[in-house]
Amino acid sequence: MNLTVNGVETTVESGALTSLLDVLREELGITSPKAGCEAGGCGACTVLVDGEPRRSCLTPVAAVDGAAITTVEGLGSPENMAPIQQAFTHHYAAQCGFCTSGMMMAAQAYIDRGGSDDHEEIQEALGGHVCRCTGYVKIIDAVAATVRGESFDATVTAAGTAMTNLGGVA
Amino acid sequence: MKAVGARVPRYDGVAHVTGHTQFVDDIRIPGTLWVKAFRSPVHNAGMSNLDTSRAEAMKGVHVITWEDVPLLEYGHLSALGIPADEPLLAKDEVRYLGQPIAIVAAPTEEAAMAAVDVITADFEELPALFDVRKAFDADAPQIHAEGNWYRHFENEMDRRQIRKGNVEEAFDQADLIVQGVYRPAAIEHAPIETQVCQVVPEANGRLTIYSCTQALYFSMGVVAAHLQLPLNKLKVVGGTVGGGFGGKVDTATETMCALLAQKSGKPVRWRWTREEEFLCSSTRAPWHMEIADAVTKDGWILGRKMLTLHDSGAYSRFSPYGLTKHSFHHTGAYSIPNLEFDGYVVYTNRTPTTAMRGFGVTSVSFATETHMSRIALELGIDPYELRLKNANRIGDTSPNQIVYTDPSTVPTILAIADAVGHELTPEYRAMTPGQRTGDLLPEHLVGQLADPEAH
Repeated sequence: MNLTVNGVETTVESGALTSLLDVLREELGITSPKAGCEAGGCGACTVLVDGEPRRSCLTPVAAVDGAAITTVEGLGSPENMAPIQQAFTHHYAAQCGFCTSGMMMAAQAYIDRGGSDDHEEIQEALGGHVCRCTGYVKIIDAVAATVRGESFDATVTAAGTAMTNLGGVA
Repeated sequence: MKAVGARVPRYDGVAHVTGHTQFVDDIRIPGTLWVKAFRSPVHNAGMSNLDTSRAEAMKGVHVITWEDVPLLEYGHLSALGIPADEPLLAKDEVRYLGQPIAIVAAPTEEAAMAAVDVITADFEELPALFDVRKAFDADAPQIHAEGNWYRHFENEMDRRQIRKGNVEEAFDQADLIVQGVYRPAAIEHAPIETQVCQVVPEANGRLTIYSCTQALYFSMGVVAAHLQLPLNKLKVVGGTVGGGFGGKVDTATETMCALLAQKSGKPVRWRWTREEEFLCSSTRAPWHMEIADAVTKDGWILGRKMLTLHDSGAYSRFSPYGLTKHSFHHTGAYSIPNLEFDGYVVYTNRTPTTAMRGFGVTSVSFATETHMSRIALELGIDPYELRLKNANRIGDTSPNQIVYTDPSTVPTILAIADAVGHELTPEYRAMTPGQRTGDLLPEHLVGQLADPEAH
C-alpha cells in the first residue's frame, strides 16, 4: 500500500487492517496524531484524508490506500507556521497540547471548506474534539481569528521583547 | 516585571502546534516491549491460585507478580512516616475492580494482550462497599484487617480532629441550629493522554524512566523504594504531561515498568487504554460532609460542628493529606470561633482516590458555600450580607490557628456583588478586610473574633 503523507510518497508495510493512526505513529514515526481513546471518541487522532478530517484510530489503512494524508507536521514548521498554528499559539489555545493536533486538523478542514468566524459554527465543526484543559473558548477564538485572516508573530509579545522561554523572564 | 500585563509566548507553544512536543508515548526506542495488565475482575475478593505459567511460556513474554517486587507495600506518603497499606501488585486479596495483579511485557501489543488472556486466578468474592457513609458504620464489612478507618494520623489517631473555643456554649447561645449534609461525587480526571510510561534499562545499570507524572520526585522515591534501589540508579525524565489535573500525582505505571525492564533487560512501554483510564485510574474522591451551625437571628455564626468522611477508595494513598487540608479549610472563607471538627479517611471498594484541582478543599468549599446560602435562606437575610458579616478579617484565626494577615473575602464578595449588580446597604458596602462592624458584633463573639477597633 502507498500513502502520500504531508506530500511525501510512502510505502506502508503494516497489515491492511492496521489503523491509520498506528501506521502513522508506529511505522512512519509521525507522532502528532495522538492515541487518546482509540475508539473515535476524543478526536486527538484526527488527520486529513484527501482534505477531509478523519479519525485515524478508526480508519484501517487499507481503506485509504493511495490517499493524501495531512498531519500537523504538514501544516507548517516552527520556522514557517501556518496561520492556524500562529493563531493557536497567540490565543493560548494549546495548553497541555495533547488534543491540539486533532483540533487544528479539524479546524483547518473547516477553514478550507469556507467556514465562517461564527462561534457556534466553529463549535459545531469542532464538536467531536475533547479538550480537558482550556474550556474551548481560546480554541474557538483562534479558529475565528484564522478565518478572519489575522496573522501573528508568535515570538513577539506586547512587551516588545522576543521571549521564547519563560525562564528568560526575570 | 516584564511579563506582567504582557502577552508572553508559552515556552512550549510553538512545539505544541507544530507536532514537535515529545510526549512520553511519542518516544521511540527500538526493541521496546508493550506492557499490559492482568487486573482484578471483581470489587472485593480473596485471591488464590494465581497462575502465570502459560503466559510465561509464550515467546518473548515477561511477567511480574507480587513475588517479583523487592518491597511489596510502600505508600505514597511513606517518606513522611505514614504507613503503607497498598501492595504494588495484589498478593492474596483484591479490593477494587481493576486492581493490578500481574503485568506482562511482550514484543507487540497483541502479544501482550494474548499473554494477559491466559493468566488465571481464583477469586472468592466478598461483599463490596461503594458508599463512604455505609463503610463508616461500625458494623460494615471490614475491607482492611484494621477496619475501614485509616488510623494513622499523628499519635495514631483514627481521625483528623480540630477543637477551637467552646462549641457547646456556642450551641447553647444560638437562636437556631442550621444543618446540612453535602455529598459531592467522584470525578474522573479524564486527561486526553492516558497514563503512560517508558522505561529503558541502560548499559550503565541505571533505569531511565520517561513518565507523564505530575510529581516526578514522588515517583522517583516510590520506584526506588519498591525496587530497593538507591536514587542514583534511576533517571526520571518528566515535564511533558498531556493533561493531569491531579490524576498523575499517583505513581500508576512507573514502578511496574521498571520491574519489567529489569526482568526483561529491554525497554518497555505502557500506555493505558481509555477503558483502563476510566475504570482503573484514580478519581477525585466522593465526600460525605455533615455540618451543624449555631447561628443568631441576625446572621452571626457562633459555632460549627462538622463530620467529614473522605472516601479514599481501597487504599489510602494521598487521602490523609487531602483530609488534613480539608480540615484546615472547614470554615471556608469565614471566621467561626467555636469549632468541633472530626474527619475520617474511610476505605471503600472504589478505585483509590487522589488529588484533583484543590485537593480536599473544593469539597469543603462546595459544602460551606452551599451551607452559607442555606443559613441565609432559613434566616431570611441577604446571602451577601451574611457572608460579609462572617467573612474572615485581619487578625482572625483559621481553624488551625493561623492568623489571617491578608484575607480577601470581603473585597471578593463586594466585587461579585458589583459584577452581578447585587445591591448592598451602605453599611455593608463600606466593609473592609480590616473592619468588622462593631455595632453588629454580638456580645458573646467579642474577644473571640479579631478586635473590630484594632484596624
